[in-house]
Amino acid sequence: MSSVADPRAGAGFSGAVRDAVYLGAREIRTSLRTPAFLLPNLLMPVFFFFFMTGSLGGFAAQSGLANFSAFALPMSVLFAVTGGSAGLNMVADIESGYFDKLLLTPANRFSILVGAMSADLCRIMTQGLVISLVAVATGTVFATGLVGLLAMLGIASLWGLGYSAIGFSLALKTGNPQVVASMWAFQVPFVFLTTAFAPKEALSGWLQTAATYNPMTYVLAGLRSLSLEGGSTFDIVRSLGVATLFCTITVSVALLAMRGRVR
Amino acid sequence: MANAIETQTLCREFPGGIVAVDGIDLSVAEGEMFGFLGPNGAGKSTTIRMLTTLLRPTSGHARVGGFDVTEHPDEVRRAIGVALQEAGMDRLATGRELLVLQARLQGLRGAEPKERADEMLTLVGLTEAADRRVATYSGGMKRRLDLASALIHGPRILVLDEPTGGLDPASREAVWDRVRRLNREEGITVFLTTQYLEEADALAGRLAIIDHGKIVAEGTPGDLKRSIGTDVVTVEIPETHIEEGRSALEGLEGLEEMRVDSHGLTLFVADGSGTIAHVVRRLDAAGVAAGSVALSRPTLDEVFLRATGSRLEGAGAPASGVPEAGA
Repeated sequence: MSSVADPRAGAGFSGAVRDAVYLGAREIRTSLRTPAFLLPNLLMPVFFFFFMTGSLGGFAAQSGLANFSAFALPMSVLFAVTGGSAGLNMVADIESGYFDKLLLTPANRFSILVGAMSADLCRIMTQGLVISLVAVATGTVFATGLVGLLAMLGIASLWGLGYSAIGFSLALKTGNPQVVASMWAFQVPFVFLTTAFAPKEALSGWLQTAATYNPMTYVLAGLRSLSLEGGSTFDIVRSLGVATLFCTITVSVALLAMRGRVR
Repeated sequence: MANAIETQTLCREFPGGIVAVDGIDLSVAEGEMFGFLGPNGAGKSTTIRMLTTLLRPTSGHARVGGFDVTEHPDEVRRAIGVALQEAGMDRLATGRELLVLQARLQGLRGAEPKERADEMLTLVGLTEAADRRVATYSGGMKRRLDLASALIHGPRILVLDEPTGGLDPASREAVWDRVRRLNREEGITVFLTTQYLEEADALAGRLAIIDHGKIVAEGTPGDLKRSIGTDVVTVEIPETHIEEGRSALEGLEGLEEMRVDSHGLTLFVADGSGTIAHVVRRLDAAGVAAGSVALSRPTLDEVFLRATGSRLEGAGAPASGVPEAGA
């Protein structure tokens, strides 16, 4: 049997991109075949949005915030993009030995991670888009229009990608499904120790301190500047900067975790 | 003939000072079918992981397909096809999807991945199950799919780590039959481990036994059996009486070596037929009831026992016929 493989397989940038596309497509296929994991991630943020608007909308109106759904939407979108346990497919591959099977090919090592993260970015964007469409369809008026809505989805997805990189790092570092599944525990402080429900000035002592140091507070402020009237350009730019920085740091950690695993 | 696999003082040490592989030298010629045996934890899988680039050696060198595993891992990966002990599979993919992806990652382009996948599915007899998800495959089907995946890019060297472990005799025979044909007809070098010594005896042209990270025996199965140079008397004794039996047989005339395991005693003796009656008399005198006393020429099982001090776990004969001798 003579070798039929391309001796340049996996070599160079184009080879790495091609491998990442193949592996990303495989990840998406895997996710679509596990609706039991996919559907809750789509439905929970919708529930969260309606719960927030239903339970707090009345109070907000009395306090002079008429467009409460536009206030609640960014938080629901952030909740959506950080929902789900990223890295679960990867840790399942590590546990089953399929990850080794991938490493036995000349595919670029980082393409395995980039492919998986690209597929996860698709999931994140879909989750953000679904809640946004539901909100708009039920009467939420987005102050900066379609462009602003897309900008919100872009910044939120960047944040979501950074958050999912933590899951991939845990998968690669530990190879333990339980640890990766416990990712939801990170979501709680990130989401709730912010100005999700009230302005920072209205938060009590320790909660105000936590919100001050929580980078998600600043991402949220930028997204609200897009969704509400009278938003601040500074807040939007800072939001983009914080999400980019967060994403850069966590993706770098994930790349290092990949290097550590294949060494 | 050039060597397909070659190692020089290959070592792998894990954190905590655990030396899994301790300076092994191996050479496997092109087109050879080479058996690599050892007890659990002896260093077999670690060696295979180093040879297949999944693990870096701590020291020493390994060349596979003419390439150094550390310096040119991608070239090694193109030269080898690997089926590991646990057939790593994407359970949610179909057999065909799994093979097509593997082909693409190996660098096949255009229509080739699908064509090769079809070819391999036919080779391993999985055409009808090609579009079913792997999760629905039986253990034997998964092993055959793993073999197809290892062969998808036409490797020159096939590394098989216990590819028939846990399979029923018919599936085991089917896997070995394909491997044997690949070796004979395509000239593919095969480096294999198996827990079935009779299979190693019949399939491998040459084999090595690793124990505690070191090669303790190497040669053709015939040479290794002849190297024992003695008859083997196997005495089955209930586990509770083994120690008494051992004491009774110590100092037996012609006894070269006595090994103890959970089934009883194995005696390596110069003259088996002359000794067997003395064995029975001594055990009787000591009041030890032997389940059976059998005389045999050395088998690989005895070679293994003598080299490692223990029998290979689950090394019993396959229930179906053993495949005919390989290259």
